[in-house]
Amino acid sequence: MISLPVIDGTPSGSERKLWRSRPHLDHDPSLMEQVSEEFIPGASNAPTGSNRRHFMQLLGASMAMAGLAACRRPVETIMPFSDRPEELIPGVPLHYATAMNFRGTARPLLAKSYDGRPVKVEGNPDHPNASGSSGVFEQASLLQLYDPDRSKTILRTGSPVGWEDFLSLCQRFQTRNRRVAVLAAPDSSATRARLQAQIESQFPDTRWIDYRSEGDDVETLGIQKAYGQPLQPVYDFASADVIVSLDADFLGPHAKNGTGNTSSFAQGRKLNGAHDQMSRLYVAESTYTVTGTMADHRRRMRSDAISDLAGQIATALGIYSGTNPDSFASSIARDLQTTNGRCVIVAGETQPAEVHALCALINHALGAVGTTVTLLDTGAPTQLPQSQALPALVEEMQAGQIDLLMMLGVNPVYDAPPELNFQEAMGRVSDTVHVGMHVDETARTSTWHIPLTHYLESWGDGRSWDGTLTPVQPLIAPLYEDTRSEIEILNALSSGQYTRGYDLVRETWTSVLGEEDLETAWRRVLHDGYLQDTGYPSVTAEPAFDEQLPRSDSSLELVVRLDPTVLDGSFANNAWCQELPDPITKIVWDNVAVLSPKTAEDHGLVCEYSKGRYYADVVTLTVNGHEVELPIWILPGHADDTVSVTLGYGREISTTRPERDTPFWDTDDATDIYARGTLATGVGTNVAKLRNLLAQPVSTGVQLAATGRKWTIVTTQDHGILDTEARPLIRTATMEEYQTDPAFALQGEAPTPGSDVKTDFSDYPELWKNQHPAKTPAFRDNDYWQNQWGMVIDLNTCTGCNACIVACQAENNIQVVGKKEVGNGRELHWLRVDRYFITEGGENLDTDPQIVMQPMPCQHCENAPCESVCPVAATVHSPDGTNQMIYNRCIGTRYCANNCPYKVRRYNFYNWSKTIPETVQMAQNPNVSIRFRGVMEKCSFCVQRIRQTQKRAGLETRPLHRDEVATACQQACPAEAITFGDLNDQESGVSQAMRNPRSYKLLAELNIKPRVSYLARVRNPNQDLEPAGSP
Amino acid sequence: MPQIFPKKFNALPHLSLGAMLGGGIVMMFLVWYYFSPEYTDVGYAPEQPVPYSHRVHVDQLGLDCRYCHNFVEIADVSNVPATETCMNCHEVVLPQSTDLAPVRASWADNSSIPWVKVHQLPDYAQFSHAVHVNNGVGCETCHGRIDQMDVVRLEEPLSMGWCLECHREPEKYLRPNEEITTMGYVHSAGFLEDNLNRIKQEGIRPPTNCSACHY
Repeated sequence: MISLPVIDGTPSGSERKLWRSRPHLDHDPSLMEQVSEEFIPGASNAPTGSNRRHFMQLLGASMAMAGLAACRRPVETIMPFSDRPEELIPGVPLHYATAMNFRGTARPLLAKSYDGRPVKVEGNPDHPNASGSSGVFEQASLLQLYDPDRSKTILRTGSPVGWEDFLSLCQRFQTRNRRVAVLAAPDSSATRARLQAQIESQFPDTRWIDYRSEGDDVETLGIQKAYGQPLQPVYDFASADVIVSLDADFLGPHAKNGTGNTSSFAQGRKLNGAHDQMSRLYVAESTYTVTGTMADHRRRMRSDAISDLAGQIATALGIYSGTNPDSFASSIARDLQTTNGRCVIVAGETQPAEVHALCALINHALGAVGTTVTLLDTGAPTQLPQSQALPALVEEMQAGQIDLLMMLGVNPVYDAPPELNFQEAMGRVSDTVHVGMHVDETARTSTWHIPLTHYLESWGDGRSWDGTLTPVQPLIAPLYEDTRSEIEILNALSSGQYTRGYDLVRETWTSVLGEEDLETAWRRVLHDGYLQDTGYPSVTAEPAFDEQLPRSDSSLELVVRLDPTVLDGSFANNAWCQELPDPITKIVWDNVAVLSPKTAEDHGLVCEYSKGRYYADVVTLTVNGHEVELPIWILPGHADDTVSVTLGYGREISTTRPERDTPFWDTDDATDIYARGTLATGVGTNVAKLRNLLAQPVSTGVQLAATGRKWTIVTTQDHGILDTEARPLIRTATMEEYQTDPAFALQGEAPTPGSDVKTDFSDYPELWKNQHPAKTPAFRDNDYWQNQWGMVIDLNTCTGCNACIVACQAENNIQVVGKKEVGNGRELHWLRVDRYFITEGGENLDTDPQIVMQPMPCQHCENAPCESVCPVAATVHSPDGTNQMIYNRCIGTRYCANNCPYKVRRYNFYNWSKTIPETVQMAQNPNVSIRFRGVMEKCSFCVQRIRQTQKRAGLETRPLHRDEVATACQQACPAEAITFGDLNDQESGVSQAMRNPRSYKLLAELNIKPRVSYLARVRNPNQDLEPAGSP
Repeated sequence: MPQIFPKKFNALPHLSLGAMLGGGIVMMFLVWYYFSPEYTDVGYAPEQPVPYSHRVHVDQLGLDCRYCHNFVEIADVSNVPATETCMNCHEVVLPQSTDLAPVRASWADNSSIPWVKVHQLPDYAQFSHAVHVNNGVGCETCHGRIDQMDVVRLEEPLSMGWCLECHREPEKYLRPNEEITTMGYVHSAGFLEDNLNRIKQEGIRPPTNCSACHY
């Protein structure tokens, strides 16, 4: 073995610490061992529960099976159409413009269909209000369609009935004057609005509530308070110089316009040269959010104290009389004033409507309205807060004044405040109709349940964030015959007849498009996915607000938020979402009560680390007399005396899918996440029960008591851990430092052979010294040699929202392994987003850390260490400079993973692809091989997309266009933080990005020449408020 | 103590060693031949739901391959025709034939005819018909004399080694694009020269690296 001194790239004497977790900061021996290891402890252990005897049985059985099964390949059939639809060519994908309703707004999408089955969704690049990017939920919505636990039949008191039975119920309602109430998930559909009006005219006393799991729509209520009408603000973060977020996670994947906000925010954070300017972001928040990670100044504070901060800022600006501003508030105010209106202040969903109103006032006073804030008139009537409308409805239900309650895509039994006694009130209504995709908590207590179609199966429409009319068109006929769309059901209620969704939508659009040349216009709309110039009109108005702001408390506070991975629980049965690490805590398959280190210490609570797993204390949270048990999680950077929890867990979904029962020799079912019931059931705890009657997100007077029990938490925060002490993985600078030396990231870079540095490298044996594969004729005499693929990831715009991970998962057929196996370090995500805490020394290391996200795909090293150790040449270099992984050659030695310095290789320890249900099989991309047990896999730079594009160009006898190929992660990224392309083309996006002065390569000192570059992070702190991390 | 084994038994270890070696070599060749797709797959000619004869349609009636397999030039997969294609003629030709009963049934109830796949590539091999037929690889080169087959049988092993034979020396196999669907095509004299010129002119360089087909 050669023993050589390590070339150390760290500038010495730095107090700066880069760490993943508390045990990492404390140098926990069992964690530090992992730094040099391939996987976490236990990853390569035999399946648990298996002993030697079992092993011998399996061995014998598998030998016998092998002998029998291998005789003949299975017979496959080709099923051509009887009468082929004109545009459908077998094996050629089709793209359709459609849209998905996300929290009341249509997100414009372009969905790809392969031989009739949708396999991928992307943002609609042509849409005026979309950039072609998409978020976590758009990407994951594909798997919602193929959810094997979707409800398939109409149920009446639990037993299957037909659609005619429901129609006859509706018809009975036609004759008599009955009282109808509708609880519907917010939706911007014009057709639905039309049907709503129809129902309201038919049943004069209709109660219609747009039901939100998270409670009041505080943003709209706040604007309504300030302007007297529910205007919709659109923020242009790109033209803002100063942005202030008051507990607003506007970049979060669950934010209403998260994708749009991220695009526009990222525009203002791009730095291409020394003279570029970027915006400054102030964040005051209680928990760490992805918005907080982007902050230049972040103050952690209780959510209920943030209203006071808003008051202070407004007072400093002289437009409100609140508390005297402290230095933080007055610095913000001064900074805001210097921008001449190029600034914006936003309040978050945890803040009361008063704070939103005050923010509207501040934006107006600063001149931001018209510059960075546009107010749109949605034409919606004044909104009654849900916290008033819902209790009133429940009262009527209790009094027996409601004859029919229809619940459209909502689940109030699960997430309505417990004091409402919603379930009991439902018992007083003679007909309760639940319409949803699952037989869930509400479906089981309703007299009727009607299965709902997915948006990829039904006709509809909606309005994008700016109001542009956007059609929703199906790509596939409903998978289950009994399913109906929302508008079909509403129409049945109002007319007693069944009309196809298409006809209903067409009727609405006929009035929009006009009779003349309707067919052409309609086809145009369906083709484009929008109707030009139909955005909401912008208005100017004078805001007024002088109310008192709610007072803060000093008792322990509880903040309930939507979950960034499962939203309000509607994505809880989605395997991709459950396995998606939370952006900040990186916890999978669980929800936790997040505390600051100090609060945990005050309550004597710990979260112990041992050998790759965390054992957290389980606590009882008591608020308003309601109790919930949750494991805790200690998050550095979390505010003290605050507990953060997320909705969406603790679901109970019924399924008719039988449990998988296999003979003893079949161990595949042991690792099959779909084998035992629904995915969502039993994962985490429902925290909706902790909310008071008004369903406010923030409650005070919370009691926290340890139960003495422990719960195993699985988090990927330590997975793929690299040596952060010797290696400068994350490089950051302040704006000032960047302007003095734009190439700061390369300072202290260790010398490598070939670089300018004069160092004697003769002691260091060079891999491939004489016969580098790239110099052989096999490489150069190949058309692929013309393109050399590379990637650049901008850490300055990456928010860590996770959209790339899900996009990659959808594109590359990445299987889901379940909580236990993620705990064993066996997760298969090709792309992980490493979350690093950064602290600048000092005593209290973990109270105010900064966070930087680092997406980590395969780096496609030119001198790839994995390639030189593969005994079967299953991983080799391609002439176009990617590191190819050849599944059919792989024999599973895992040497490559062992030799990968970035730890990006993933191994199929089990047969996860074999056990996926039939419907989920339909979600798999036919252009990517499904991997079997015993095979290594990793990021391929979406080689299937490269090859498809090359083939298309070849058939059109033209060269590849510049930047024609996009990887799945790049296409999804709303921040455009990922650039991919041809390094041979000097003008390609990736070549330009690589010439960015901030560009650096990870572990470049190893001389492995990675093809992925990172653009270093720059922070733009306010000089008055140094240091950057804290006020 | 008397010897149990006579002296000639001393040769036994050597003999058995020789036999093992020899047997090993024989085994190797047996496996090499009998486990190869050349032996296991070539000749696979399953019975089809409809006794469709390429000989009748191509050889006797002179249909071009692309009459039925009409997307072969633009799609990765060469499509098996929709029932509609069959019915174009068979609505009037042999409308009573019992052999065609499944076709008529498929047309009547809009169902698929379950044709049995003969040319099966593994799922991890990505192959495009369009790329090949537009670059001078004839149908016959991979599928054999389909026009002589009453029942389609697999003519070539479709193994990776077999693919690479052509990918490494395409000049031996290419034909002019006009002759793609010709059956029984005979290379002209000096075709090697022509092909080499064409390869140079059109830049036909079939890739041999792994991720050209495996991803």
